[in-house]
Parts: sequence; structure tokens; C-alpha cells
Amino acid sequence: MSVSPAVMLTAIGLILGLIAGFVMHRADFCIAGMFRDLFLFRSFAKLRVMVLYVVAAMALFEASRLLGLLPLYPFPMLGPATFAGILGGVLFGIGMVLAGGCVVGTLYRLGAGSRVSFIAFAGLIIGSTLYAEFHPFWKSLLTATTMFSGSITIPQYFNLSPTPLVLISIIPLGWLVALWWRRGQLSSRLYAKGALHLWQAALLLAVISLASYLLIGMPLGITTAYSKIGAMGEQILFPEHVANVSYFATQSISCRNPLTGMMFKGGPGPAMDSIALIQFPLIAGIVLGGAVSALSLGEFTVRHPAPWRQYISAAVGGVLMGLASRMAPACNVWHLMGGLPVLAFASIFFVAGILPGAWLGACMLTRWVVR
Amino acid sequence: MTSAEPATIEFDIRGQICPSTLLTALREINRHATALRRGEITLLFLTTNRDSTHTIPESAGNMGFRVEVISLDGYYAIRVFGNE
Repeated sequence: MSVSPAVMLTAIGLILGLIAGFVMHRADFCIAGMFRDLFLFRSFAKLRVMVLYVVAAMALFEASRLLGLLPLYPFPMLGPATFAGILGGVLFGIGMVLAGGCVVGTLYRLGAGSRVSFIAFAGLIIGSTLYAEFHPFWKSLLTATTMFSGSITIPQYFNLSPTPLVLISIIPLGWLVALWWRRGQLSSRLYAKGALHLWQAALLLAVISLASYLLIGMPLGITTAYSKIGAMGEQILFPEHVANVSYFATQSISCRNPLTGMMFKGGPGPAMDSIALIQFPLIAGIVLGGAVSALSLGEFTVRHPAPWRQYISAAVGGVLMGLASRMAPACNVWHLMGGLPVLAFASIFFVAGILPGAWLGACMLTRWVVR
Repeated sequence: MTSAEPATIEFDIRGQICPSTLLTALREINRHATALRRGEITLLFLTTNRDSTHTIPESAGNMGFRVEVISLDGYYAIRVFGNE
């Protein structure tokens, strides 16, 4: 019995998402918290784990590339750096702090029954869909502010093999990670049931990202699907409007899946295309993974309401993240877990934007939300 | 002479946005620091936030307080008390 490529890729996305969601819930792997705590509590503890992730993913991606396992390098849908994209990063940083989690943190917590995360998820879809209304203007701004002659990665710009530049990055960062490890700064005593250390989750997620790159053709990414979900909903209510919005007609992917040979074509519009095939199972898997983890620990609950300020904050944060993930373009998972390890300019500039954004978000959070 | 049992002040922060638990805990520990040190009160934080089950003990420990974390019916109870 042969399995169609679409079924195979759906199963792969679902399984990878499920494992990622499970691992993230067990470790409470909150990327928003890593950046937020830097400013809110002057704590670098969680961000150290992100450095560990980047080092591990860099090594895994580069080793796989050298072995000829990554024919799509740099991976599809990764664009050049733009000045306008940095503004997207700033907005994303504000949004993820106000929402209480990033685009995946929202998903695994939603799976565990968090009401606030459900509101943030709705906001993400609304924001991702709203972006379509001013896409032509923003696209022209992105094009006008493109940097580094449109090169996607640092090695491309300098016309070098990625290996020496990856090594130059890995050696000092790896030395730092080893130093933190020796000082015991990568782990703390755990009290939660079935908890994983953040460093364990970081290493597992690096392997999951590599598996996604090898099997699907790109690391984890989900935010184009948020626009698609919004477009699908909007099409039921305003089909003529959706047909006339240029963003929904764009094609953000056009490449061949290295595993099955299937041609990927698709975009943020309402059609059930390759974006739906790649990203819908991943989203469903992460939510399911969070739910399985929470249920197995007896921690799944929708019973506890939050103060009204927090629902408003989650909604505003979700909308901002949704907008920003299209403006940057792409989200923190795409850039931090996929782009940074291949030294993508856009991802480096996204991080440069997310830092002041997280600071602004932390200021807003303590001033207006958690008082 | 027998000393009186310390009074418990409870904060139910279950279901709240991510940093709310730690922010509330730090604020209340600082507010009640003297009474905590004297052993007059203990603070009890109820949370569904897994992250705070190690961030609160770490922060309270750094401030010189003792902490116990108890897993209850789908949530955690974090008790902060003084050394006495």
C-alpha cells in the first residue's frame, strides 16, 4: 500500500508539532518570557537557553548541509533583511509580551486549556488577516528598504561557504554555553510534575527543527497559516472582498519537497494549498501536544478566569503579533529557530527589533496590565 | 510558652497571564517581608503557571525565604515563609 505525499507530509507535520507542543509544555519553553524577563526581572537565565538552541541548531543544520541532506539552502520563504522588517520585529516584541506568549507559546498553552491564550490565538488570526488590507503599501516599503543587495544570509553576501562563518559563530557561543553549564546556570531545581529542564527542551527542539528541515524542506513555521485561517473565515462573510485583496493572491512558496518530490505552491489566500498542507498539521500538532502533556499530568483546565485587563492585553498582543509576523515578515519561531542558525540577515535584524519591543512590552505590561 | 501558628495570606492567581504570578509574588513578598521574617505570616500563591513553580522558589530563596511547592488538583500551591 503506498501513501500519498500529502498524507505523509500531513502526518510528519502533525507528529513534529505534537512532540514540539509536548516538550514545550513540559519545560514551559516560553520564548516571549526569555526576552521579557531580560527587562522585567533583569534575568538572562532563560535567554541562555536560546543561545544553546542556536548553537545546537547551527551545528545540526551545517552538518546536514555538508552531508548533502539539505538541498534547499537557505530554506524557502526566507527573505532578505529590510529596515521595515526591523519595525516588524519591534511590534512583534511588544505583542508577544502583552499576549503572554509568542506564536507557539500561545498554542501549547491553548492546548493546556488557557483562556487567555485562546484570546491571544484569536487576536493572532485577526492581526494576520488585517495585514492583508495594507500589504501593497508595506510590500513597497520592504522592497525600498532592502539591505545587503538582497542577499539572504551572511555567507551569501560575502560569497563564502557557510562552514567558516558557522564555525566562527559556534566557537565563542559554544564556549559561553560551556561556561554557563560549568557554573550550573543552564538549569534550576524543578518542582512542576513531569518537568523538563529548559536546556533539555532546547536540544530536543533543535532536533525537531532539523527533522522539519530534512523532511518538509524548512524549519518550523506557522504564521502564514494564521493569515490563511483568517482569509478562510473572511471568505465566508465577504467573498468578493477576499477575491480583490492582492495579498491573498500572492504565492509565498514555490519549491519541491525534497522527501516526496511533491511541488509546493501556495500562499496566505483561502485555498487549501501547500501552506495549509505544511502549517495546519503543525499548528494542530502543537495544540494537541500541549493538551496531551497537560491531560497526562492532570493539569488541563479551562476553569480559571483571568482579570479583564489580561484578556484585553492578550487580544491586543495577539493582533500586534499577527500584524508584525506579516510585516517582519515571519515570526520569532521562523527567525530564531530557523533563520538565526543559517545566519540569515533578516533573522538577525528581527532579533534586533524584538529586544526593544520586549522592553516596551514589559513597560506596558507592568503599567497597564499586571498591577 | 507556645508560639501561635502563623496566619496564611492566600493569592489565587490561577489562569492568569504568564508573568503575573511572579510579579504578584515578588510584590507581596516585599510588602510582607518583615512579618514573613518574624514568622507571623506565610504567603500562599495558587497558580496554574508551571514556570512560576521554579521562578518563585528561586527568587524567594535569593531574598532569604523558604518555599514549598505542592501539586494539587491541576494546579500548584507555592508557600513562602520565613526562617523561624
